[in-house]
Amino acid sequence: MQKTKIISRILLLFVIVFSLTGCWDREELEDRSYVIGLGLDHSKHKGKIKVTMLLANPEVGSMQGGGGSTEKPREIISFDANDLIVAKVTANAIISRLISYDLLKIIVVSEEFARDPKFWNIISDVSYDKEIRMNAYLAVSKEKASEYFLKNNPKMETRPHKYFQYMIDHGIENGLIPDSTLFRLFRTTERGTDLFLAMNTTAVMEKHPKFKGEDEYYAGQVNASGELDDTQFIGSAVFWNGVMIGKLTGQETSIINTLDDTTNISDFLVNIPNPFPGIRKSFAVRVLKREKNKVKMNLKGPRPKIFITLPLNFDIMSNPSMVDFSKKKNREILKKEIARHLKKENEEVLKKAQKELKGAPYPLSFYARKYFGTIQEFEKFNWAKSYLKADIYVKADIEIVDYGKKAKKVGK
Amino acid sequence: MNQQPGKLGIREYVSMVILMVGLKATEDTPAALYNMVQNAAWMIPILSAGIFFIPLFLLIKTMSLYQEKNLFFVIQKLFGKYIGFFVCLLIFIISSFGLSFDSRTYTNIIRVYYFKTTPVLLLYALLMTVCAYGAKKGIKHIGSVAYLLIFSIILSLFVVFGLSTQDSNIQAVFPFWGTGRLEILKSSAQRLSLFVEFFMLTMLVPFFTSSKDFRKGTWIAYIYVSIQISAATLFFICLLDHSLGEMGYPFHTAIRYISLGSYIPNIEIVFFILWVMASFIRFTVFLYINALMFGETFHIKDFEFLIPSLATIYLLIGSIPETPLQVGIELKPFIATTAGLLFTAVSIIVWLTALLKGEFKHAKNKNNI
Repeated sequence: MQKTKIISRILLLFVIVFSLTGCWDREELEDRSYVIGLGLDHSKHKGKIKVTMLLANPEVGSMQGGGGSTEKPREIISFDANDLIVAKVTANAIISRLISYDLLKIIVVSEEFARDPKFWNIISDVSYDKEIRMNAYLAVSKEKASEYFLKNNPKMETRPHKYFQYMIDHGIENGLIPDSTLFRLFRTTERGTDLFLAMNTTAVMEKHPKFKGEDEYYAGQVNASGELDDTQFIGSAVFWNGVMIGKLTGQETSIINTLDDTTNISDFLVNIPNPFPGIRKSFAVRVLKREKNKVKMNLKGPRPKIFITLPLNFDIMSNPSMVDFSKKKNREILKKEIARHLKKENEEVLKKAQKELKGAPYPLSFYARKYFGTIQEFEKFNWAKSYLKADIYVKADIEIVDYGKKAKKVGK
Repeated sequence: MNQQPGKLGIREYVSMVILMVGLKATEDTPAALYNMVQNAAWMIPILSAGIFFIPLFLLIKTMSLYQEKNLFFVIQKLFGKYIGFFVCLLIFIISSFGLSFDSRTYTNIIRVYYFKTTPVLLLYALLMTVCAYGAKKGIKHIGSVAYLLIFSIILSLFVVFGLSTQDSNIQAVFPFWGTGRLEILKSSAQRLSLFVEFFMLTMLVPFFTSSKDFRKGTWIAYIYVSIQISAATLFFICLLDHSLGEMGYPFHTAIRYISLGSYIPNIEIVFFILWVMASFIRFTVFLYINALMFGETFHIKDFEFLIPSLATIYLLIGSIPETPLQVGIELKPFIATTAGLLFTAVSIIVWLTALLKGEFKHAKNKNNI
């Protein structure tokens, strides 16, 4: 009796273990092909879109110490489709494995398609798809997305999923590109009060880009030479209500990222004009955001007033004029110069946003909400319109935490 | 199978109730609340709890007159044989429909997010089989399992909330009053259904070691659950803002979105497993109570043998609606509102009848003697 009991229990256990594999939703890793990048373009055919898929080969680079396969790390296909969901099936005419969007990292849209009002309709499909995760990124490329993926040919990081992950993560940390997850795209567009910034990228370098001050580049304008991949992630594309309306340079994007409390910007390096006499006109500082910005608003009256205080910490990284910072006077000069410079730059960007882009480039409307009791009142105020008339004052609350390694001038 | 009606302790009871009612925070309730009053939605659970406190308090007070007796006994005793029977039957039917459509919603969630190609009927049948098996084991076992699970589930819930704050914005709760104060109050009154389970849980009184445990446990769970649902709604508002209204199941969207850094990006499966276990407990208790109700109404002593057949009936009822949307938008709110109103009314009427019949005085006299 005892034996029968034990045996039947073991059998039951087996049955349960086998049922764990499931029947319908069984997924074999071997059997799947993962789309890392998705490109969207206009199609020549009416009412269709051109879909480009960048598929990663999971075998490449996964083995340590050689012995890996000699296959290529990626596959790229472009074709016309009605939408990006059914495109999965169409792609199977070419790709041997089952297409999956589970690990989708980036959606690249060509600029001309992003400017089309139809774009929002197409991208909305993403929120219906059950595989695409909302932490995939949206990027806008200058050229066609299908060309972008082809031209993008990283020299070092050949595995596409790692390449895009590192490229985007570090770009966001440095503030040169915005944190443009699909999650933020839908949240911003559905809120309908602010502009959304998508990262700007290109795989084609401009022929003779002009040298510019700091990071005042659009994607493709950084003039780099050497043995490298031409892909650049810098600056942002501005969307209003799901349609692209303009562009911002890398520097403007980094200013907006500093203003925006919701992005994950870490410390970054910038140049500040040198207030002291000397040959070199700028010195380097590292900027760290100490805490969240303080925003105060006065929304009564015809012209709303917005006061923004940026609490920033600075590390002085270079001292081209060899100034003695042990003197209080010099420290004051430096502080004042940084404050003046930041105020000017921030206000310029926000003015540009008001005049050219006609909206707040980051979720500034959140701060306005607390001045209203109910949603009806807030809607009556009409943030999107009132913001355009607002006077914005930016103040930088500066603390210089570090004046560098050398405190005094070293003899010539 | 002859079962001893095991006795319930306070901790088993509290964990059971928290799993059963608190789980509402993880289905479509937050989204439904958001659609009512926008970003003031987090106030509704607390206000509803405040409103529902009165009928629940009166009911429990009346119940305490009859030691170790359950709700249906009290109703039949107070209302007489015929009216009592009718009221009990009505409560049973409403809660049956509630169970059917609720379990269908959970099946939908599982299918939409995790098992995309498995037929609904199969998932649904599996869910019901597990619940029926659990319910057949008896309330004591359910309580023990609930107590086993409760800590990990609450922990996982708060881990989700904690991780979600990375991308949320507390300013989303403004404008503070949402669509207006009056509107909030009105919606809270409509949403009494959030706590109707507490009404049904009074069926379990005879299983307690002492009725004091029951009262204490109910209030602890009541306060905790209202705070949990409210907190969950608040966290989802901060995370999703306007998108919350369009999202069917914010909890599952959130667990798919959050990540533990870039090296462990997709962690929803951990939360999903715990959530599924919690929903098993929820429907097991629900099923057990419904079987108990049925047994009480028709005077069937060994009601536990009814559980498999009842589960099958619920499965069939739940399979009738064609689409999840129909369940979420038409049927569930209808059942919920009816249940909320009916159960509140019954609680108050029970108390009034007891008062008019002078039962409270009798009890006092008895105590004095």
